[in-house]
Amino acid sequence: MTRFGRRGWALVAAGLAGALTISGCSGQSLEGGNDKAAEGQITLKVNFWGDMGLDKLKAAYEKDHPNIKIVLNSGEYNAQHEDLQKKLVAGSGAPDISAVDEGFIVQFRGQSDKFVNLLDKGAGSYESKYLPWKWQQSLSKDGQQIGLGTDVGGLAMCYRTDLFKAAGLPTDRDQVSKLWTTWDDFINVGKQYVQKTKKKFVDSGTNMFNPVLAQQPQGFYNEQEQLQMEGGPKVAFDVSMKAIQAGLSANLASFQPNWDQGFKKDQFAVLACPAWMLGHIQDTAPEQKGKWDIATIPGGGGNWGGSWWTIPKQGKNADEAYKFVEWMIQPQQQIEVFKTVGNLPSQPALYKDPAVLDYKKEFMSNAPTGQIFASTAENLKPQYLGKKNGPTRVAVENVITRVQQGSLSPDKAWPEAVKQAEKAANS
Amino acid sequence: MSLTRNAPPVLDIPEPRPPATPPKHKLWFYRFDTKRTPYVFISPFFLLFAVFGLFPIIFNGVVALRNWRLDDPDLDGWAGFANFERLVHDEDFWNALGNTFGIFILSTVPQLLIALMVANLLNRKLRGTTFWRVGVLLPYVTPVAASTLVFAVFFSRDNGMANWLLSLVGFNDMSNPLDWRAYKWSSWIAIATMVNWKWIGYNALLYLSAMQSIPKDVYEAAAVDGAGPWRQLWRITVPMIQPVLVFTVVLSSIGGLQLFNEPMLFEENPAAATGGSDSQWQTIAQLIYKVGWKDLDLGYAAAMSWALFLIILIVAGINAFLTNRLGGGRR
Repeated sequence: MTRFGRRGWALVAAGLAGALTISGCSGQSLEGGNDKAAEGQITLKVNFWGDMGLDKLKAAYEKDHPNIKIVLNSGEYNAQHEDLQKKLVAGSGAPDISAVDEGFIVQFRGQSDKFVNLLDKGAGSYESKYLPWKWQQSLSKDGQQIGLGTDVGGLAMCYRTDLFKAAGLPTDRDQVSKLWTTWDDFINVGKQYVQKTKKKFVDSGTNMFNPVLAQQPQGFYNEQEQLQMEGGPKVAFDVSMKAIQAGLSANLASFQPNWDQGFKKDQFAVLACPAWMLGHIQDTAPEQKGKWDIATIPGGGGNWGGSWWTIPKQGKNADEAYKFVEWMIQPQQQIEVFKTVGNLPSQPALYKDPAVLDYKKEFMSNAPTGQIFASTAENLKPQYLGKKNGPTRVAVENVITRVQQGSLSPDKAWPEAVKQAEKAANS
Repeated sequence: MSLTRNAPPVLDIPEPRPPATPPKHKLWFYRFDTKRTPYVFISPFFLLFAVFGLFPIIFNGVVALRNWRLDDPDLDGWAGFANFERLVHDEDFWNALGNTFGIFILSTVPQLLIALMVANLLNRKLRGTTFWRVGVLLPYVTPVAASTLVFAVFFSRDNGMANWLLSLVGFNDMSNPLDWRAYKWSSWIAIATMVNWKWIGYNALLYLSAMQSIPKDVYEAAAVDGAGPWRQLWRITVPMIQPVLVFTVVLSSIGGLQLFNEPMLFEENPAAATGGSDSQWQTIAQLIYKVGWKDLDLGYAAAMSWALFLIILIVAGINAFLTNRLGGGRR
C-alpha cells in the first residue's frame, strides 16, 4: 500500500512537471506569435482607467493604419498607476502607451529617465497649444517632457433635476447655481432636501472633501514635499465633517459597485463632477438620461484630475506609439472624445471652437458642458500634488469613511486624520 | 492508523532470484536502473519544490535583511535587522496579527466541528449517498474569487441579503441596516462565514473517508455497553480518526493564517488592500501585499513574510500537539 502510494506520488509529480513544462512552452510561443504575427504588424498596448472614449478612435486609427493593432486595457485607477510603477522598476512589461493622472504625475515625472522624452520626437511644437500649467505639470526638473495632455477636470456640480423637483427645489441650472455660492449654502440646501425627502443628499463625505481640497491654493504637500495638513486639507475636512453631521451623506465608496447602485436607486441627488465624471454617469445609469443637469460648484472653480499620455522607454515601438499619441491629441480627436464621454480638452484653442462652445450634452439635459467646464479650467492656478499625494488622500478618505460609519466621532476625527496622513507620508 | 492495523497478513513470497549476471556492458545500466531510477522518478517534485518553494523562502530571507524600495531605487544595501525591529513597533502589524487570529479562530473551530457532524451524518445509511457527498464538495470546487464576490454582495449594507435575513428574525432594522464592513466583529464574522462555507465540505469528506475504515464491531460493542450516538462520536470516532484530525487542523491553521483572497475581495475597493477604513479586517497576508506592492517597500514586506512563516510554524505545531492530546493519542 505505502509503496504503491509513493510510486503514485512520483508519477503525479512527474506528470505535473510535464504539464507545467508544456503549458510554459505554449505560453511562450503564444506570446512570441503575438509579437510578430504578420510581417510588419505592430501592436500598441494602451493602459488607462475608466472610459476615455477611445473605442471609436481605435477603430478609426486601425483603419487608416492597417499595420497597427491597438490593444485597449482599461483598469482600476489606482491599480493602473501602481502597475506602471512596478513595471518601470522591473524594466519590462509596461504598456507602449500609458495614461497618467494628475494625482500621480509628480511621482512619474521624477523618473523621467524611464520615459521617452517627447521633445525628442518633436512634441515641442505643441507647447503653445496647451494650457501653460498643463504643459508644466508633466515637465521634469531637467526639462524633459514625459507626457502630452489629454484632458483637464475642471469642476462643476451635477444634480438630479427630477429629485430636486420632488424636494421643491429649483431645477433650472442658473437658479440652482445661485442656491449655493458657498459650501455652507450647499450644506443648508442639503439639509432642506434631506428633511423633505428623507433621502441622502450627497454620495459620500469623501466626495465633498476632494473638490473642496481641489479649490484650495495648497493641497496636502507644499513644493518642498512637506505635509501641510493645517492648510487646505483642514478646510476641506471641516466641510466634509459638517456635511456628515448634518446627515447629508449616503456613505457610498466612490467608483465601487455600491456607489454605482446608488446612482440607480436615487441614493443621492448631487455629485461633484469634473468633466470626466460625465462619462461615468452616463455609463453607469444610462436610463437617467435627461434627469441630470450641471450647475456651478460652490466656492468657485477648481480642478480635479485630468491626464497625460506617456510612453515608457522600455517599449519597442516608441515611434509608432508617439505617432498614435500625436494623432490622439489633434483637435478633431479631442473633440470626438469630448463629445462621447465629456472629457474636456486641455488645449484652450478648442474652448473657442464652435464644436465645443456650442455643444450641448443631451444626457445632461442639454447643458452646455463645453462652456461650463472651459470657464473653470482656463483661469486656474493648479495645486502642487506631492509624490505621496495618492496614498495620503486614501488615508484621509478612510478616516472620513470611519466617521460616516459611526465608528469614529467627528470631534476626534481631525487628529486621527493628521495621524493617518503622516503615516502615509512616511510609509 | 487503523488501516495499517487491519492490513492483511503479508504473504511469505520468496525473494525473486537475482538474474544471472548480465554481460558487462549491460551491468552499468542494470545498476543505474535499480539504484538510481527511483530517484529520477521522484526528482520532479523536489526540483519543483526547490525552484518554487525553497528558493523563494531563502531569497525572501535575504530580502528581509535588505533595503529594497521600488519607488526609491537609490535606497539599497543591507539593513541588518532594522526591518524586524520596525516590525515589533508597527501597530499595523499587531493589528493585522490580531485580525488574522480572530478570523482564524472564528473560521477554523466551527469549520472543523461542523465538518465532523456532517461527516458523521454522511457516514450513515442515506439515500443518494453520492449526491450528498458531491454536494458538500461543491463549495470547495467554486473559485474563491467568484464565491467571495457573491458574499460581498450578500453582506452589503444596502440591500444585502444577510441584513434581510436578520431583519426577518427581528435582529435588524432595514431602515438602519448593519454596516458589516464598519466593525471588527461583523467583518470578522462575514469573512469567517466565507471560509467556513468553502472548507466544511472538503474537511467533511476527509473525515468521512477515515470514518469508513473504522470497524463496525467497535460501535456495536459500544452500543451494547449503552453508549449513545453522541458518546460514540466523541469516544470512538474522534480518537480513531485522529491522524486525519491532526492533518486537517494543521492544514486549516496554515490556510487560516495565510488568509488573503476573502479579506481582499470583501473590501469595497479591492485594490486598496487596507482591510476596511480602519483596517478592521486586514490580515497579515493582506498587509504584506499592501506594504510590498502599494507602499513599494519590498524589504519590509519580506521581513513580514518571514515573521508570518515563523508564526505559522509555531501555531501549527501547537495545534498538532493539542489535537494529539485530544484523543489521548500515543503519537
